[in-house]
Formats: sequence, C-alpha cells, structure tokens
Amino acid sequence: MLIQGFHLFQMDETGLPLLDDVYFSFPEGSYTVLLSENVLAATAFLKILAGEKRPAAGTLRIGHQDPFAFTPSQRNRWLSDVGMVFSDFKLFSDRSIEENILFTLRAKGFWDEDSLSAVDILLSKAGLAHKSQMRPSELTDGENQLVMALRAMIFRPRLLVADDPFQNVEGEAFGLLFKFLRELNKTGTTIVLSARQTAFLDEVKKSGEDLAIRWIQLDGGKLYPLEEKVS
Amino acid sequence: MNWISRLGYVFREGFLQVLRSGGLSVAVIIIVAATLLQLSLFLGISRVLDHAFASTNQKLEMAVFLSASATRSETEHLQSVLSQDERVQSAQLVTKEQALQEFRRDPAIDQMVRALGENPLTDSFTLILKPETADQVDALATALKKEAGVEDVSYGKGQWEAVSNLARVIRWSGLIMASVVFLTALFIVANTLTLALWARREDMIAMVRLGAPTWMRWGPYLCEGIFQGFFGAFLVMVFLEAVRRFAGQALQRYGGFDILATLPFQEWLSLYLNLIVIGAVLGLLGAFWALQKKWVKELL
Repeated sequence: MLIQGFHLFQMDETGLPLLDDVYFSFPEGSYTVLLSENVLAATAFLKILAGEKRPAAGTLRIGHQDPFAFTPSQRNRWLSDVGMVFSDFKLFSDRSIEENILFTLRAKGFWDEDSLSAVDILLSKAGLAHKSQMRPSELTDGENQLVMALRAMIFRPRLLVADDPFQNVEGEAFGLLFKFLRELNKTGTTIVLSARQTAFLDEVKKSGEDLAIRWIQLDGGKLYPLEEKVS
Repeated sequence: MNWISRLGYVFREGFLQVLRSGGLSVAVIIIVAATLLQLSLFLGISRVLDHAFASTNQKLEMAVFLSASATRSETEHLQSVLSQDERVQSAQLVTKEQALQEFRRDPAIDQMVRALGENPLTDSFTLILKPETADQVDALATALKKEAGVEDVSYGKGQWEAVSNLARVIRWSGLIMASVVFLTALFIVANTLTLALWARREDMIAMVRLGAPTWMRWGPYLCEGIFQGFFGAFLVMVFLEAVRRFAGQALQRYGGFDILATLPFQEWLSLYLNLIVIGAVLGLLGAFWALQKKWVKELL
C-alpha cells in the first residue's frame, strides 16, 4: 500500500505539538523504520497511519484512500489488510497464545483446517511451540511482544504498522523477529515501524542484518531522512 | 462447511465466556432461575385454580328448552348443532315425559300437575360445557336462542359470570405480574451482562482492531446470554422435578396440591420446555440489551 501524508499536525493532551506539518510518502512494498526518542510522538504518528487516530489537521492517503472517511464496514474490510502492533493492543489474556494468533486468522476470514497448523508452524519457527498452550501472563514481556508481532504478521497484511515491536525483545528472538519482518516485506507488505533510536540501532548492528531499509527520524515534530546515519 | 465452523465457534466461545465471566455468570443464572421459579409458581397456582374452576363449572349445567311446537327435525338439527359445538362437552335430550317424571318426585308439584290434567313441560337439552369456555357461555346462550324450535335457554347466569370474571381477573393479573417480573429480571440481567462486558472491554477493542466481523464480535456475547438463561432454567427444572418426585405426595395431604401428584408427566414436560425457552429468551434479550448500551456500541 502506498502511504502519503500531507501537512499532518497532531498535539498531545496538553496542546504541545507531536507532529508539526509532517509530510511523507512511503511507496508500496517499502520498509520504513522510524527512529525517535519521543515515544508519544512516534506512537501518535503510527496511530494515524493505522487509521486509529485522526490527525488534528492534514491529509492522509493509504492506497489512495482516506482511512478516516470509511464507514464501519469499509473500515472492517480495510483492517483485513492491515496488521498492527501497539503496546495498548494486548493479547487476549484468557486465551492461549495459539488461540490468540488463531483468532486473528479467523477474524480475517480463514476458517479452514490449515489455519491451526499455520499458527503452529509460525510458533515453532519463533521457538514458542512448547509454549503454544500458555496464556500471555505465563510468558515473558519479550515473548509477549513477539507473539503480538506474529499475530499482526500471520495473515500477510498489505500494511504492517508496528509501534516499537522490538521492545523487550532481545538476543535470538530479536534476530528472529527482524528476519520475519524482512520476509514479510519481501512478500510485498509495506512496513512502517518505530524503534527507540540508540538501542535499536545497536541491536541491528549486532545482528549483522542487511540495512537496506528506509530510515527516518522524528524529532521536534518533524520527519528527517536518515540514510547517511546508518549506512 | 465454513458456516458450521463459524457456528461452532460462536457456541464454543459463548460457553467459554460463561465460564470466563465467573461470578457475574453465577449472578445472571441465579436471577434467571429466581424469575423462572416465580413464573412457574404462578403457572402452578393458575393450574390449581383452573382445576378448581373446572370442578365448579362441571356442576353448572345449561338447559335449552324447546318450544311446544318444535318439530322432530328441528330437535334433531339442534342435537347435531350441539354435538358439533366445541364449547359443549355433552348434550342430553330430556323429553317432556322424562322431565315430568322428574318433577313428580316432589309431591307438591305432582299435585299441581294432576290438577292441570296435562303435561305442561316441553322437550329440553341438558348441556354440560367445557370448563375452559366459561367466558363464552353468554355467547353460546345467545346463539342457541336463535336456533329454530328453541323457546328459552337457562343457566346460572350470575354464577357463570362471577366464575368467568374471577378467571379473567386472575389470568390478567397473572399475566401483568409475570410481565413485570420478566421485565425486571430482563433489566437486571442486562445490567449484569453490561458489567461482564465492561470487564472485557479491552478484548472488545482488540477484536475491532483485528477487524473481526460483527457476528464474530456479537455472536459469543449473545450466545453467552442464551447459555446463562438455559442454565437458570435448567436449575428450576431440576428443582421442580425434585418437588414432583419427592414432595408431591407429601404436599397432597394439604389439599389443592394434589395436582403435583396427579398432573400427567406430559404437562410437566411442556412446563419444562417452556421454562427452557423463556430462560433462553430472557438471556438472549438481556445480552442484546447490554450490547445496545452506548459505550458498548461505540467499542463494538
């Protein structure tokens, strides 16, 4: 999905600007990482991209459509193409992690018998097969974060918006998640994710992953390209 | 086959949500059970009164007097009309000779008849009406008066009216009481289920964000209400069955309660099925009402 924003403004609850006349264009199939030390601003930006929060001013187009002009049923259809990871978008606490991911597939209309095995294969790849029947409360924060990311990826959305999906994810799990995201991107999914600047860059450098990603920085309510910083 | 999986999902989730709601589910089940117990007690009382009326009604007869000039064909026609009328349980022709013999048992009347020198009586029909048609007696009498060959129709009008009015008052007041009890229970069930929804509001938000279709979001909640209503009804059913089996004979000694021992099982079964349906409807409506709350609609 092509994502375009024009003159976007957003403020926090006290009226301080989080986004100040922001404009951008993320091509279809692109992979963009937003680096920011301002957690609130990054979350506000991503919530706008996910069609969750209307900007105070400006225009957003996702796949040439305005997600804030949808009727509830149009929005529901649109959501079947969008995956999200937000810290306030918790897993269902009273279901196993397998059921949590399976629910996403069901919600997107996958009711065949292969769905469950697809979930199990994914959990197995993520090294969580032995915990598939556990509840989120029985997992570590990092594991929960990984499951939330898997939930957003399993149906191969056309757009994935993830707010700091690497939070609390360390070591091998970090590399795995990074790899999953790259694989998803290769299938054509447009990815926009945020990360806390220094920690994320350090981890990426440690993982030795290919950095052919579009990097941008959100600072003082403005977006800046960052290619020179990470190359 | 997908729709079977989807239906299975809704039922399974509905059932699991009854368990997940824990104490709130127990509260709804108890409210439904208390309501249905009141309704079934009321139905039982109505039934006992119906029996009482039935035994009274059967003692009241209606007499249809034919005119002296009534022909044989008119009498036969009337007999046919009476035998086909659904309000009439039995109709017996009493000839004027039989009536005279009956009268002559009283010596004073016998003397008067002798003085007259001829039989002043006419043929008549003695009717016994079905008890449940108590409130239609007046209409039946009016209709019979219009039949050819009928001179007069006689019945204990005041008594009939008193009985039918009492029956009507009891039925209507019962219906109103039952409705009030039902609506009160519905209000309480809906509000208790709203509390359960509030406790699960984060899940509801997550479902919307995952793009779950409406049936997937609403279905389990509605089903949860149906299950809770069903379980409430089941409790009452178990209680009533225990009363029927073990307390029926003991209560029979107190009179009026003989219905517990004598009522055919078929009627009990029908009561149980009605309770299950009413319980499920109560739960379903309660859940639907809860889902209509403004904040719920905004979330879902």
